[in-house]
Amino acid sequence: MQGHMPLDEVLLIIAIGAYSVGALALVAYFFSREEWLAHLGIPLAIAGCAAQVAQLVARYETTHIWPLLNLYGSLSLFSAVSVAIFIFFAFRYRIWFAGGFVLALAALFLAYGATWNEGSMPPVPSLQSYWAKIHVPLVVSSYAAFMVAFVIAIMYLIKYYYERGLEGGRFSPGRMFEGAGGSTRAAYAYEGPDLSVAEAISDPRAVAVKMDTPNIAAAAAAGNAGAQWMNAMPSLAQLDVLIYRIVAVGLPLLTLGIITGAMWAHESWGAYWQWDPKETAALFSWIVYAIYMHLHTRSQFRGLRSAWISVAGFLSIMFCYFGVNLWISGLHSYKV
Amino acid sequence: MTDALRSFYNDFTRTFGNVLFAVCLLLAWALMTLAGVVVDQGKDPSVYFSMYAPPVARLILRLGIDNIYHSPYYVGIIGLILVSLTVCTFKRVIPARLPALRPLPIDRIPLNATISVPGDASQLQARVDDFFRGRGWMVRKREFGGAEWTFADKHNWARRGVLIAHVGFAIIAAGTTVYWARGFSGDVPIAMGQTIRVPHRQATLRLDDFRYKIQPIMTKSGMVYQPIDYVSYVTVTGADGAARRQTIRVNHPIDVDGSLFYQSSYGFALRFLVTHDGTRDGDLSSKLYEVGESIELPGSQRQIQIDQFVPTVDRQTGAPSADPRLNNPAVALEAIQSGQSAGAALVPMNTWIDVGDGWRITPVKYVMVSGLQYRYDPGVALVGAGAFVLLAGLIVSFYFLPARLFVRVDGGTVAIAATTVKGYDMFETQFNELVAQLRRHFAPTQRSGGLNLASEVT
Repeated sequence: MQGHMPLDEVLLIIAIGAYSVGALALVAYFFSREEWLAHLGIPLAIAGCAAQVAQLVARYETTHIWPLLNLYGSLSLFSAVSVAIFIFFAFRYRIWFAGGFVLALAALFLAYGATWNEGSMPPVPSLQSYWAKIHVPLVVSSYAAFMVAFVIAIMYLIKYYYERGLEGGRFSPGRMFEGAGGSTRAAYAYEGPDLSVAEAISDPRAVAVKMDTPNIAAAAAAGNAGAQWMNAMPSLAQLDVLIYRIVAVGLPLLTLGIITGAMWAHESWGAYWQWDPKETAALFSWIVYAIYMHLHTRSQFRGLRSAWISVAGFLSIMFCYFGVNLWISGLHSYKV
Repeated sequence: MTDALRSFYNDFTRTFGNVLFAVCLLLAWALMTLAGVVVDQGKDPSVYFSMYAPPVARLILRLGIDNIYHSPYYVGIIGLILVSLTVCTFKRVIPARLPALRPLPIDRIPLNATISVPGDASQLQARVDDFFRGRGWMVRKREFGGAEWTFADKHNWARRGVLIAHVGFAIIAAGTTVYWARGFSGDVPIAMGQTIRVPHRQATLRLDDFRYKIQPIMTKSGMVYQPIDYVSYVTVTGADGAARRQTIRVNHPIDVDGSLFYQSSYGFALRFLVTHDGTRDGDLSSKLYEVGESIELPGSQRQIQIDQFVPTVDRQTGAPSADPRLNNPAVALEAIQSGQSAGAALVPMNTWIDVGDGWRITPVKYVMVSGLQYRYDPGVALVGAGAFVLLAGLIVSFYFLPARLFVRVDGGTVAIAATTVKGYDMFETQFNELVAQLRRHFAPTQRSGGLNLASEVT
């Protein structure tokens, strides 16, 4: 086999190829809504994800070294899990329209991870632990969930600001589409003291936070092509619920990842918490998503503000993942 | 309670019970945490002046950002979060999450529907109750102003999810407080053959042997020397006086009378032959020096600092090699005169160097030093338990949606509305499905109100 490309690298190239072509197909589907494009993109997403799982297994089988202990391996898992989570939610909520962006990011991260592939290396002593097989997949899976939530949040923001553009930029989150014939669904966001629901809805301080998009609907009906594909996206309320549900997958995973990391650190370094940059960056991300969850309990913070917090949360995850690994030295500086 | 005190109490609970205030505290906590990630922690002040512009370095030092995680404001903000969490739990979470059964104007609730049921209305109430009970709803009935209301709850127990999460956070805080109050930890570098007394314990620990394994690996970028194993072979004599031989590895600590000992790092200690005008200096020559220490030369302003132990010197170039395995070792020495460097040299083992004023120094022996850490943490079990309670609270909060149905049967109509702890959108699909089932269950003709919520996600 000397001179031949290792099997895991072949599978990696297959995965990158499948994601790239699948991303193009699903982005085209996003704009055109041609069903055949979705039927091309969906199998490619599944095939790419399967190739990645096979790649990680092949790497483990050939080297007998747990493949997630460096940036190459963890980014590979990150891409695979983000696509897997997306596929799950796409089948459940029919959100294939966003698949192009998830697959494009997965391909990008996977290709970047491949640049860190230095071949197989035995792990340093601190990484020789069964915790590596528990902690790393949990944390990386949480990152993947947050990436999918980020993509949906971007969709939300695109649709929101498109609607705002049609409106002429005259509204604020507190008074969206007043008198535009929107529903009264979210008319009871409430900022006063605790009252019963009955009291709250009668209170004059109730704030209208509507998440429907009548201007997009009107423009779509009038033949505006941009508005038509915006209109074909789920409603803002549905996107908001989707973001919440995906964050609700990521946050417990991140919490469990931090807990198992602490248990590992307790065994390896003598303290469950060392204030290492990676730990504190993960804590920072955890707090950002805790803020998201707290604010999402208040209806006036659902929607736009929640979407922005989800975006900020993912940026904090990226900082935790790459910034700390690559630029800040600490106990977690495992690159190759 | 006086009016002033009551007013203060009310203001205090209103402020600390407000979720937005809690979010502000979380935000402050997040930003302080981020500052500690970006700014190196616990370094010498000169490091900050070398890394940042002087005004920024001064700001970092004056605000204590160089040690932010142990600063009063970091601890203070966590304390405030705990106070907020406690007040929020008792003032908001418990009352709001376990709400009393009260009627509401059904047609003003976004998730509502009204169904007309033809035929005998006398049995309708009982049939409606059976319908919800049969689908797992907990049905309770109350009378308000002579009218009977039916309240149906699902996942009511899950309303306690936030409460559980808050309790978990508080338990973690209690565990860390126990460590601060009663725990201790530290580093113990121990040279081969040396015996140390275990801090805060009656036990002793002797390093019998230390082994490390480095594996050279050819990667795509070149040769890498990967550490594979560090092992300390020790003899521990506990408080009971019994001596036991034990092994400490990374990820495999040992317990010495309740304190855990961890393998952390390794290094080398050095012994030198120090002579002055050809005469051996007994004191200086018998001492074991660690890297970073200095040899103080008597009667001289000069001191010799041990900068580095180099395991392998390249025999061709004479320069330090990247190979950390022992093969032709040497010592990097630096002469310091009046606080200034007066020259440096790489001195191979068993080779003397003249450092002036008749002094000669010869590195004659190196000894492996095992870097151990010890820790006693009586709060660790609490922290672990709290973490899992917190996680359980999050899972309950996120994955179970407590919903309440308000049902009013009046003559031949059934009016129904739903509220949840997470707003209306989250329950929209299930509510539509439930109403559809209710319609199918009773009659083909109906009048619906509220929203048209059945938009398809594509």
